Amino acid sequence: MLKDDSPNAGFESAQSFTTGADRSVVLKPKSHVMTAAACVGGLLVPGLGHLLLGRWVRGALLLVSVVLMFVLGLTMHGALSTPPGSDELVSFKTLNAFANVGAGLPYVIALKTGRGEGIPTAQTADYGWLFLVVAGLLNYLIVFDAFDIARGRKP
Amino acid sequence: MSFSHFGALTTFALLVAVVFAIITKNEPREQFRYGVFVFFSFLAAAILVGWIMYPLPL
Repeated sequence: MLKDDSPNAGFESAQSFTTGADRSVVLKPKSHVMTAAACVGGLLVPGLGHLLLGRWVRGALLLVSVVLMFVLGLTMHGALSTPPGSDELVSFKTLNAFANVGAGLPYVIALKTGRGEGIPTAQTADYGWLFLVVAGLLNYLIVFDAFDIARGRKP
Repeated sequence: MSFSHFGALTTFALLVAVVFAIITKNEPREQFRYGVFVFFSFLAAAILVGWIMYPLPL
């Protein structure tokens, strides 16, 4: 396997990218502390990882998109799941909770303020559930993207 | 706030398209084109599936 094909390629060396209008940019990986901060920050607040890395427009758009999706999910009376207790079996609810937790602080705030109960009989409850789940899952992808940017794999 | 099915679908498609475009493409122009593609793909798929299910009894 070529060195560049390795999953760890680009971890320690600078990467060169060709961007629009044939402009070439060389990206150096950020420090491990900055990478960790971007990932943890991004998990807590959607888009914060990109903001910490100086990607202001991307971060703002991601923040608005994911938080708006989460808020709309609650508005449509979707229900949030909580992680299973130690005496509960792993079930579909566990996967549901994993997806919900991905939203970060909005998830915690919604639970603390009692807005995550949902109304199962509401006409839009299923849509609301879907919005809440997808908001969390998208944020996991966003954190991976922030990680790639921090490691210099992506401009 | 009440949503129609189509309104909820359109909102969902828009928000997901924005995120997908940002995390998969690097250049603003590419992001815009890909976002538009994802958005309309969502709508087209939903309308197509809706018509496929149309003859089915409720």
